[in-house]
Parts: sequence; C-alpha cells; structure tokens
Amino acid sequence: MNQDISVRFVGSAGDGLVSLGWLFAKIIKKHNLNLVGFRSYQSVIRGGYNEYQLRFSDEKVYSVGEEADIIVLLNKQVASLHLPRVNENAKIVYDQDYVDLDELGYPSDIIEKLPIPMKELAKQVSKLSVIKNIVVFGALGHILGLDTELIKEVLEEQFGYKGKELVEVNFKALDLGIEFAKNNNWEKVSKKLKFEKGKQMVITGNEALALGLLTGGLKYYSGYPMTPATSIIHFLTRYLPKLGIIVKQTEDEIAAAGMAVGASYCGARAATGTSGGGFALMTEIVGMASIQEVPLVIINSMRAGPSTGMATKTEQADLFQAYGASQGDFPKIIIAPNDIEDAFNVGIESLELAEKYQMVVIVLMDLYLSEGIATVRKLNLKYKTKRYGILDKVDDDYLRYKITESGISPRTLPGTPKGMHFTGSSERNEKGFSIASTLAGLPETLPIRNAMVEKRARKLKQVAKEIPEPIFEGDKDADITLVSWGSTLNIVREARINLEEEGIKANHLHIKYILPFQKEKVKEILENAKEVLIIEQNFSGQMQRYICMQTAFDIKHHLRRYDGELIVPSQIVEKVKEIVKND
Amino acid sequence: MTERKYKADDYKSDFRPTWCPGCGNFAQWRAIRAALAELEIPPENVVLASGIGCSSHMPNFLNVYGMQTVHGRGIPVATGVRLANPKLTVLVYGGDGDIYGIGGNHFLHACRRNVDIITIVSNNFIYGLTTGQASPTSPVGTLTKTTPRGSIENPLNPVSLAISAGATFVARGFSGDAKHLQYIFKEAIQHRGFAFVDVFSPCITFNKNQTFDFFRARIYKIEETEHDKEDFHAALDLANQRFVRDHLPIGIFYQIENKTTYEERDFALNQGYIPAHEELGLSDEQIEIITKEFY
Repeated sequence: MNQDISVRFVGSAGDGLVSLGWLFAKIIKKHNLNLVGFRSYQSVIRGGYNEYQLRFSDEKVYSVGEEADIIVLLNKQVASLHLPRVNENAKIVYDQDYVDLDELGYPSDIIEKLPIPMKELAKQVSKLSVIKNIVVFGALGHILGLDTELIKEVLEEQFGYKGKELVEVNFKALDLGIEFAKNNNWEKVSKKLKFEKGKQMVITGNEALALGLLTGGLKYYSGYPMTPATSIIHFLTRYLPKLGIIVKQTEDEIAAAGMAVGASYCGARAATGTSGGGFALMTEIVGMASIQEVPLVIINSMRAGPSTGMATKTEQADLFQAYGASQGDFPKIIIAPNDIEDAFNVGIESLELAEKYQMVVIVLMDLYLSEGIATVRKLNLKYKTKRYGILDKVDDDYLRYKITESGISPRTLPGTPKGMHFTGSSERNEKGFSIASTLAGLPETLPIRNAMVEKRARKLKQVAKEIPEPIFEGDKDADITLVSWGSTLNIVREARINLEEEGIKANHLHIKYILPFQKEKVKEILENAKEVLIIEQNFSGQMQRYICMQTAFDIKHHLRRYDGELIVPSQIVEKVKEIVKND
Repeated sequence: MTERKYKADDYKSDFRPTWCPGCGNFAQWRAIRAALAELEIPPENVVLASGIGCSSHMPNFLNVYGMQTVHGRGIPVATGVRLANPKLTVLVYGGDGDIYGIGGNHFLHACRRNVDIITIVSNNFIYGLTTGQASPTSPVGTLTKTTPRGSIENPLNPVSLAISAGATFVARGFSGDAKHLQYIFKEAIQHRGFAFVDVFSPCITFNKNQTFDFFRARIYKIEETEHDKEDFHAALDLANQRFVRDHLPIGIFYQIENKTTYEERDFALNQGYIPAHEELGLSDEQIEIITKEFY
C-alpha cells in the first residue's frame, strides 16, 4: 500500500467537529494531497461521542482506513470512551490540563503521548474557545511537516471575510501550536508525503450530487428534512438567488415528490431527495409519475432502518424498497453511485435519463456517500446538457401517448397551442383519455391496455442499451471475485489491492446500475469465478438475493455489516483468507 | 357585444363526462369553461390538476392541460406546476374526501403558502366513487356504509378552516346555480394569491340528505347582504354560522388583495425567472459562486 496518513479527531457534538474536520481537510487539500474523510456521529445536538477520521496521501486514497496515525482527543468524556479504539503506534494529542491518559488506562507502552495545553495556549490569543483547534492544527502541522504558509493561506481564505483581526488571531494560535510542538521535541511522522500547492476541491457526496444535478439542468428541487439527504437542500438553498431555480421545503415527502412532478410536467427538470422513511411516503408518486410518463429524479440516501432506525448511521438496505416502490408492474431506473465523484456524474445522468425516457429515476445514495468528504479533481461543471423529446409545435393529430417502437412518446409542455392533453394516473389511450372508467374491460379497450403496459416496458430496454457495463477490475483468473454495489466501491478496491500485496489474487465486480440490470454480463463474470464473495452493508444480503433473482446465480460467500458503521478493508481481507484457505 | 375570443365549448374535450345524470359536477364543468372563456384565457395556458374521486375525473372532460394525480395530491402537483411556470393559470379540482380528507395536510399548507392557484372542491358530503362512505364533511348521524349507526365524528368546516389558515380568497358556491358559480370561479381565477371555493354539489346517488332541494331551501347569497368580505372576523363569523343556523350563505366570504403571494416572495420568481423556460446548466459565473466553498 502506498504511503498515507490518518488523523482522527474525537469530540462531542458542540466541539465544532464538522468545521474542524472540514478546515483540516482544506489544509491537506492545499498541499495537493488526496483525501477521504468521514464523520461518525450520533443523533444529538450537544454532547455525545463523535469521530472525524481523515486519511490522505499523495496517491489515491480509497477509504478512511481503520487505524489512526494521530488521534486528537478534544475532551475528557470522549477520551474515556475512545480507549477501545486506540491502536498501536498512535500519537495521541490531548490537553493534559483536562485529560489524564494514565488515569483512563491508555496503554503507555504502545502509544506516544503528546500532551499540549491547547485551551491555555488559545487563551493567550483569544477568548474564543474554538481557537484551541487552530493551536492543534499548528502542532499537527509540525509533526506532519506541513507548509506553514499554505496553512495560513487556508486560514485567510476561511476567515478573511470576518476581518483581518480574526485572521491574525488564527495565525498567532497556529504559531503557538507550532512553537509548542517544536520546543517539546515532538517527533515528526515517519511517512513522507510529497507536497505542492494544490487547486482541487474537497466536497461531500451530497454536494457533488447537487452540483451534478445543477449541471444536468436542475430547475426545481423539493424536500422535507431528513438525515442524510438534508444537506442537498441546504446546499441548493444557499445560492438560490443566483441560480434561477426553485427550491422548496414542503409539508411532507408526498408533497415534495408531487410538486417535483408538477414542475417537471411543465418542463422544469426536477428532483426531490429524502431517506428511506421519506421515500416510503413518496412511493405513490413513483407509480403516478411512471404511468403519467413525467420525468422525475428521486434521491434516497439510505440510513440504518427500519423506521427511524439509527438516523446517523449508514446502511444499504433500501434496495428492495426502491425496486418495489409503488403498486403495479412498470419500469423504473435505479442507480447507486460509486463514490463522491460519481455522485456528480449521476446527478447529470439521472436528470437526462428521466427526461429522455420520461421515467422515474431513483438514485440510491447512503449516509456514508452523502456525508463523506473527498478531494475531487474532475467535475465537468461546464458540461452542456440538452433537451429530449419536447415538441414546440404540434398538429391536430398529436397523440401524447402514441405507441412507438422505442416506447417514448412525443411530449408537449403546458403553454404549447394544440398540445393540450390529459395526463392521468389511470390507464389511458394514445390521446391520454382514461380507459379505466366507462371504457374499462370493453373488447376494444383490452389491446390498448396491453399496448400501454408494453410501451412503458420497452423504454427500460432502450435504457439498457445506453448504460455502461458494470465495473470489473483485476485479474480475470483470480482466486476469488469480490462483488459490491453503490458506495462501497473504493473500500472493496482497497481490500483487493491489499490482498494482492499478500499474494492473493482477487478481482472485483461492482454494480452501479440496479435497473436496468446488466444480467448477462454479471452472470458471465460470476460463472467464470473460482469463488465469489459479496460485500454489503445490510443484514439479509439484499444485493445477493437480487443478483440471484436476476441471474439465477446463488453467490456462496457473503460479508455483511449492519451495525451502522462502515465495512473496512481488513474485514474483507480476513474473510477472503478464510475462504481461500479452506479451498 | 363584441365577439369573445373563446367559447365555453373550446375548453371541452372529446371525452363525454362519465358522472351520473343529474350530478352536481356538470354545473361546475360548465361554469369552469364559461369562466375561462369569459376571461379569454387560452386553453393551452390552463393546467387543471385533480386527485381521485368522481369529481376528479374532471380534467378528462376539458380541453386544457389536464392532470389527474393520485388521491389528495392535486394541490402539491399544481403548486409545482405554478412555481415552474407562473405564466400559467393553474386550477385544482377535487372532492371533499380528496382535498379535506386524504389531502387535508396539503390544503392547510396551500392556504398559508398563498401560491396563486385556484382550488375548487366539489363537496357532496360523501364518498361517491367508492359507493357511499362518510366523508370529512358528513354531519354527525349521517348513515353510510361505514357508519350504519350514524357518523359519530364532527364534520369539518372547510370555509372556516381556509380563512383561519390564511387563504386570501374564500368562497362557496352551489351546483344548483351555475350562473353564480361562474361568477365565483371568475373572481377566483382573477384573484392574486390562493383562491379556494367550496361547492355544495349534491350526490344524487349516494346522498339522500344534502340534496338539491335541501340546499335550495337554505342558501342565500352573501353579495345580497351587508357583509364586508375584507373583514377577517366578519368572514370567520359568517363561516361559522353555518352550523348554528339553517341558513347557508354562498358567495365570497373573504378576499384580501394586499397580502404578498408566494411567487412575489420567491427568490427566483420575483426576479422574473421562469424555471420551466430557463437555459439548462451553469454559467461560468454561477460555477464560480457555488464552488468557492469547496476550494
């Protein structure tokens, strides 16, 4: 594995952990390093136990890792709770005025203690308690060998708008931290990373997705607050007056999805976002938009369920909810983005597919992908999307729901003369008129019903032709094939690379498109595998069962995690060794 | 009289109404078309969204951009339509079960939100399409298939609710008086802000209590009284009287023009943006503004 460094901040809600992690990520990013970060937290507004882990390198970083090179303990309570998570060779930064590691039973022989009176030092320059975090950054900068000028540039960028004075305070606090570490002979970390001034972005998955949606022509977004989807609406709202789009907080998720359908019906590209509980409410609209053939993008950022479940914990357990959303037999598109950069791409792709095929597209994010942060270098924000299938002018013989070979019918938007038609949630004829009331069951109506069901189904076949093949990496003749889906791509990638370093050849099949599903390709890969292990963040193996349903291939081995925390590469490596050893 | 640009029949589709002969919905169907013709609104600029129920079949029978949504969701869908393209005239049409029952939450929030849409409720005090069950407006004691010993719930007073919740135009009509309905609908369409019209509309098949004769014996027109429709408290008093006396006022209970609409407050719409028509994607300037925080 390449050289990388992990830093873990441990604090309580109210310690400013989010902004602290974000600021530290910006410092790292400024050194042109690659970074992945994730905050593990609880559903409380004050107190509690939270961790923010950031891992960075001058090469690609796949996951936040398991161990930490540096652990920063921000208060006594969390220091005590953190004890079981401490790993060998960790440098532990803490405030000795408040925390006594020996008293708490920290293993002195395997860790390096780095006490620093962060609060006392911060008091020398400011009354603001958060300044202690900047003192810590100074000390960390010293042991990581970071460039002080680059750190100061970040501080200036972040606090400059609040005035010169605050920037100066931050600089002084930073210098105090550096001085302290130097004077106390804090040893630098042994790993050496290449620095230069960098210009890449650091961003969360939800924000990348939102940028993708905007690039893809988003004009209307509605939502009802629900973790972990809420930060999408927060981001979009922030820049509202400059974007010319509507962002609407609604009375419930049914209204959020319903309004998005109304806006989309008028031609405004529309999306709505929620988590599993809100998605459950939206399902009636999934069916409605599907039969109306109005484009709609729904984001479901999954969290641990059922019901309220664990609001701040991650899970991949809504696959069947998305697949089965709404009554009846009709096609829909389901995409699970791979990582933060891919969330941007899916933002564009989902709106385009929805409009092109007049279908509902469900984007399955999860808490890890939505809230995780990463440096990204390749977001094509200048991408120019185009319109699909909208007629400006029609003749008297216009049929909104014309039966076509592709299944896609011509569409007019309100305001278009002669384009008036009826868009119903009931089954209809080509003109749009309901065949569900006085025409239902008539001999002449039966073929119309069949033709409409089949027309809608044909659209999914068209979509299947344009989506890329599943990701398949590694040696074809590997000892084992790892299977994953959605947000865990990079975690499993890291495991595969680690396995190879240990001499175990593994390859990796990753599913992003759940519907349409590339079953022939998936089947071919699985049938050629020596062993197959599927890795999922749920209890019952939803993707494993789904693959079996689609391909009749029953995957033998599985690794499932459902305690709410992330699957880690070492779990996968261990599991693979078990399987390969038994062969 | 100069010839009108549109006739009421221009708003009629080729699909003949499927309602029971004698249904109160026919009068509303005619009144909506007549009001649109009178106001010379091009059919292509009208969107009418309904929910589920007998009355919600309405958009099938109109030559406008008609939408039938799912049960109770006409209001949110219509709200989305209006916000995406405020050049359109947007109506919601549904029944008492649809809009006061399953869609009650949306009704409440539409009133306070004051989006410029018109909501018409064909109130027949019963669930008709499902063959006769109690609705949110069925009076205590109503005998239906789900209340064979008489309804034990107090009914909702939709007019009073709408005034309290912040609707800026609140009226009631009667399907037995199509001319008067046309007048109310015309006023509602012209109103700036959320307009709500409850229509006494007898179900001739499943409701033997609230019949045409029942209403004819009790209604009187508000505009023939001294009522000041801009007076909030007077409007509320008038709305609440319905349940103490057997006199049922029809007409405009409440209307104020000085309250800002949602569209006037929205940060995109009040700058003249029409989201449905805006260019797709981001400009260089927009990219710079929204990505600054990530650098």
